[in-house]
Amino acid sequence: MFDPKLNERPARIEWPLILALVGLMVFGGVSIYSATMGNWATTLKQVLWYVVGVGAASLFCLIPYHSLARFSLVAYWTTILLLVAVLIHGIGAFRFGARRWIDFGFFQFQPSEFAKLAFIFVQAHFLSRPLDELRLPRIFAKALGMTVLPFLLILKEPDLGSALVLLPVGLVMMFVGGVPVKYLLRLVGGMGILIALLLVDILFAPRNWQIKLEDYQRHRLLVHFGRDFAPRDATPEQRKRARELQQQKSYHVEQALISVGSGGLTGKGWRQGTQNALGYLPRGVAHNDFIFSVIAEENGFVGSMGVLALYTVVLFSGIKIAGRARDRLGKLLAVGVVVLLFSHVFINIGMNIRLMPVTGIPLPLLSYGGSSVLCSLIAAGILQNVYLYRRSY
Amino acid sequence: MLIFDQLKKSDRKLRLVAIAILTGLTTLLVGLYFVQVISSKRYVKDLNNQSFRTVRVPSIRGQILDRNRLPLAGNRALFNINLYLEELREAFKEEYKLRKASRKLDRSEMTELGLTTRFNVISNLVQKLSLVMQQPIAFSENQFRKHYEHWTYAPLPLLTNLAPEQVARFQENSSKTPALNLEIQPVRYYPYKTTAAHVLGYLQRSEGADDDEETVLFNYRLPDYEGKVGIEAAFDKELRGSAGVKSVLVNSLGYRQSETVITPPEPGKNVILTLDLPIQQATERALRSRNPNERGAAIVMDARNGDVLALVSSPAPDPNQFTPRISPEYWQELTDPRQLPLINRATGAAFAPGSIFKIVVALAGLEAGTINPSFTMTNPGFIRVGNRTIHDTAPPGEYNFQRAFIKSSNAYFIRHGLDTGVEKILSMGRRFHLGEAVDLPTLQNVRGFFPTREWIQRQRGRGDPWTDGDTANLSIGQGAIAVTPMQMAVMTAAVANGGKVVWPRIVQRIEPQEPAGDEDTALVFPNRVRSELGVNPTHLALIREAMRGDVEDEGSGWRAAVPGMQVCGKTGTAEVKQGGKLVDKITWFVSFAPYESARYVVVVMVQSGASGGGTCAPIAQQIYRAIKEREAQRNNTKPDRLASAN
Repeated sequence: MFDPKLNERPARIEWPLILALVGLMVFGGVSIYSATMGNWATTLKQVLWYVVGVGAASLFCLIPYHSLARFSLVAYWTTILLLVAVLIHGIGAFRFGARRWIDFGFFQFQPSEFAKLAFIFVQAHFLSRPLDELRLPRIFAKALGMTVLPFLLILKEPDLGSALVLLPVGLVMMFVGGVPVKYLLRLVGGMGILIALLLVDILFAPRNWQIKLEDYQRHRLLVHFGRDFAPRDATPEQRKRARELQQQKSYHVEQALISVGSGGLTGKGWRQGTQNALGYLPRGVAHNDFIFSVIAEENGFVGSMGVLALYTVVLFSGIKIAGRARDRLGKLLAVGVVVLLFSHVFINIGMNIRLMPVTGIPLPLLSYGGSSVLCSLIAAGILQNVYLYRRSY
Repeated sequence: MLIFDQLKKSDRKLRLVAIAILTGLTTLLVGLYFVQVISSKRYVKDLNNQSFRTVRVPSIRGQILDRNRLPLAGNRALFNINLYLEELREAFKEEYKLRKASRKLDRSEMTELGLTTRFNVISNLVQKLSLVMQQPIAFSENQFRKHYEHWTYAPLPLLTNLAPEQVARFQENSSKTPALNLEIQPVRYYPYKTTAAHVLGYLQRSEGADDDEETVLFNYRLPDYEGKVGIEAAFDKELRGSAGVKSVLVNSLGYRQSETVITPPEPGKNVILTLDLPIQQATERALRSRNPNERGAAIVMDARNGDVLALVSSPAPDPNQFTPRISPEYWQELTDPRQLPLINRATGAAFAPGSIFKIVVALAGLEAGTINPSFTMTNPGFIRVGNRTIHDTAPPGEYNFQRAFIKSSNAYFIRHGLDTGVEKILSMGRRFHLGEAVDLPTLQNVRGFFPTREWIQRQRGRGDPWTDGDTANLSIGQGAIAVTPMQMAVMTAAVANGGKVVWPRIVQRIEPQEPAGDEDTALVFPNRVRSELGVNPTHLALIREAMRGDVEDEGSGWRAAVPGMQVCGKTGTAEVKQGGKLVDKITWFVSFAPYESARYVVVVMVQSGASGGGTCAPIAQQIYRAIKEREAQRNNTKPDRLASAN
């Protein structure tokens, strides 16, 4: 019959990755059930998205990433179109002060999530040209342009968090892809100066000198850096109003910190968290952007470490896959996905412990939300895809 | 790390990315460790601060009982209706939606609408309740807003002290409204109203500011009362017990979610007095027999040990009127400048003793040898002291000691007082502790006034030297002297019991409300002797003999005689003069019975009476009759607890 030795093939599935993903999904389902005060409908919806996501990810595994990459430009421009469309009244649904969704009734489609994936594809595809070409400033400029376009569109929604995530993804992909470091250093340096100026401007400059930011964005930054809302020349009345506003704005962060901190070492137990149950942690955000607070309160530092460990496994599996990829395209895809996931994890958990300002960025697979779950799983599927086809010539 | 080794050595860039990511994850881990482990306590504290409110729960106040454990002060159930805001949240929401309709409101408008909506929902409910209870309910928007802002989690009191038919009506009609709750609150109750009111004292709403022993900072205090005067105040701590602590879990809007009792309240202890309720009541009746608003005092004391069996001051307040809140009209009544019902005239006010002080003068004279009981003096009906002539109320004639005492001859006592000298009279008075407080735990003690040598010297220094006229005045209990009825009771008891000057006792013991079975838990206050008179017993016997004569041998106190009681007494009528004009009289009767072995001391003092013999002796007689009846009744029924008390 078959000679087992002939049939022996290198592993096709990256098991640690799959197991970590399953772990995260279980954690997610259980936590969302708790965060929604035992709301089965919401929990089942999330589980449904897990199922749909796993299906989509499997589909993405079936087609070799090379073939997929051929459609990257189409995908990219489609998402750009959607990002434009979402800004148009009547198409984009206006919720929570931003136009980020396209409402399909049963599903609030969030194009920015998919734009991130499309961007990774198109960037990987673009950067997998000969190394010599990458040294050309023209190419660098093009790569940069491809990053900036969705960045600006998402910024316009406004969704600063999602927009900002694109920058590290793009930069790291260029770095790994082989764009000369001096270009990147200049770029990063320039951006650093720009961000510093921006922060100084927002935090310290008088009102009419400031760059126009959305009020909520300015407030979030002020909250994060612990600055007074009131301008220096404010009257006592204004100052009082500003203080009240500040209290309101700092509320989420404060409550998230109390949740996380009061969890202590081992937590209060599943569904025993009071911050969420008593409504201090607003119900509207407890199961999505602030799901980590609920997890940390109920499972303590031990649970937090568990979550971090699962993400560590996912991220380092990704890096391993990048290292083993057959070609630059595969490597860049993997790196892009890893940086994307890492940025989400870092920003989201960071904002729960006041390391980062509050931005509406979901925690991959744990936060409630169809678009986010779908994209996270497809991203993981891409990793698996790169791993699977590392040797098929 | 495994993954690093797996990376191709040459792939420097990928390694860099891996290191960056590892750094990021480590940062998160350190951050989480800092928040969740190192500073966890701080956040737990914040959490408790925002989601728990501590509520002080007062304990049930101990009772005040008479010597036979009849309650003089107890507790009764007050029925209140309280409103629980959290039960109305759905109603608030619906009403809010209706009112808001499709209007667009900014934040402050929303808050304002929310508040008026809530007030309206509640106010409608209150209206309905008011109809059911057939009683208007005071409920203002300000009141609601204040409550809502500070104590959302606490019940809002709507009605208090419901009548029984209102309780029934509520249970029939409104008990299904979950927001309204019928609650029972124990309140102080004095079943005999004004009886022993001065001894018992009264309560006032406690604001708790001076509760320094309580270290817990409470967010909310359920109503609590503290004793203001009398036993209620002196033993407030014991009676009050210790308050419990309740922790209320509140949600982010401040509504009550659940409650846990952290420390249950510890009930207060019972205070058992020496008073005998039937005697107390009889004494009160007797004192008011002439005039229901009589201003005076009466004391019945056990001559042997100083137990106070009755302590009456009239007029008396009704302590029930002080809780939950005293009405302005009643307060007006209590502060009437002539009646002064809040003054305890038995221990808290001092008066001129008049002739009853002759007991002290007689004893001083007998001890000094200046009074010879067999000596007879011719009384012309007046006596001249210096250039002043003092009329004697006793008729002219021959007077020996006995007759002078019975007829209360001023001439006799002034002459012998002058013979004895002020020093000796003062020294005898001090043996009875005149001018010193008796320190009853009713917190209404005054010292009265009794001259001392230092005081006399000081007065001389001020150009007001002590004269024979002053000694003459003092000899008949007038002038520089003021005593409390209680001091006179102690004096009489000392004469009656053979020379023991006692500390009057009014509190026997303090016991837990539910005795644990063994007696050790009770705090017992034993009888105490303050000092011995240290006088010749025959002299005391002479005075007792004279006192018996005052009642039984057609003396001034003959109206106090009760057959079979052998009452011995001394009358007194002190004149209150203003600018040489008689404005008022303080009338007295001090007595003890029976003559052979004194058991009871009865002291009666009436302001603006006619005379000691005419006004006070009949009152004393009624009291003795009641005592006699009580003794007979007790002998027929159960063992004599009165006599067996310590």
